[in-house]
Amino acid sequence: MAAPYWFFGYDSLMEFVACGIAMAIAYEAMKGYALVKQRILLYLNLSFILLGAGLLVDGLSNVVIVFARFHRELLFLYTIGYTINFVAQLIAYGILVFAYFQQTRAFATQITMAAVIPIMFMQRNSFSELILVFLLVYISAQTAINYSVSKGTNAFLVLSAFSCLTLAHVLFLLFTIIPILFPFAQIAQLFGFLLLLAMLFRVNQAL
Amino acid sequence: MIEPGVGSKHATTKYRSQFRIYVDIMRVIQREGNQTKPTRILYGANLSHDRLVKYLEELKSLGVIQESPLDEDKTYSLTQKGIEFLNDFRKVEDFAGAFGFKL
Repeated sequence: MAAPYWFFGYDSLMEFVACGIAMAIAYEAMKGYALVKQRILLYLNLSFILLGAGLLVDGLSNVVIVFARFHRELLFLYTIGYTINFVAQLIAYGILVFAYFQQTRAFATQITMAAVIPIMFMQRNSFSELILVFLLVYISAQTAINYSVSKGTNAFLVLSAFSCLTLAHVLFLLFTIIPILFPFAQIAQLFGFLLLLAMLFRVNQAL
Repeated sequence: MIEPGVGSKHATTKYRSQFRIYVDIMRVIQREGNQTKPTRILYGANLSHDRLVKYLEELKSLGVIQESPLDEDKTYSLTQKGIEFLNDFRKVEDFAGAFGFKL
């Protein structure tokens, strides 16, 4: 099932903005890695590069469809764009979960890898979207723990951002049943990235 | 740029990495008004005398701290490069910390 007809174009615009923010966060992580050479920053960098790339491909595929006036022979691009974005997000959130595992050492590395690899080969369906939601719930829980310890504004912004992204994916999951939820899912996703951008501004203006 | 030591590979280890000790020493100097005697650094960064001497020499060779040539007692201060490094490190620490990652 596709997004509401009237919303085509707006979703691409939102994805391009989110892509820009994801790339800015990836750049910040790369700058940090160049300074302190901590692997955790490399994971953050890779994760947000993948998120940005996925959003860019999905947004571009939708733009092509809109400019081609929904030509029937080009509608396959919608599925390709979505699938690439979906796989990119699975790997990106998988990397973040792996980074949290490494930080907390809650599980052995091998177990984490064993959990992430099958996710990468999932086909597009509600169940695989549900796995994305589970990954985001785990990341949100980790950021909530971090906020409960640090009580910092930046930690709160990151917690809110991942909560919004989780909500967005719950709405993406439900939109196959209730199509009107698609715009709300896109807005929640964009809002999540905007919160990450606010954190980035705060970090860079702290001194 | 300060290259981290061997021990810094795993951020979760209980012992401090060489990189972390560098930062701790520089922060003690900064906290003390950027003019500090070695004993203040020794207590502030929680180091033995031998290790302190070793790390101070390394930081001097990296150009992030300098020994005052004027004072009778040895004092150390941050160079401009050292101040800039600490500022950049604070940003990276805040950025990673927002996600819950400790450096």
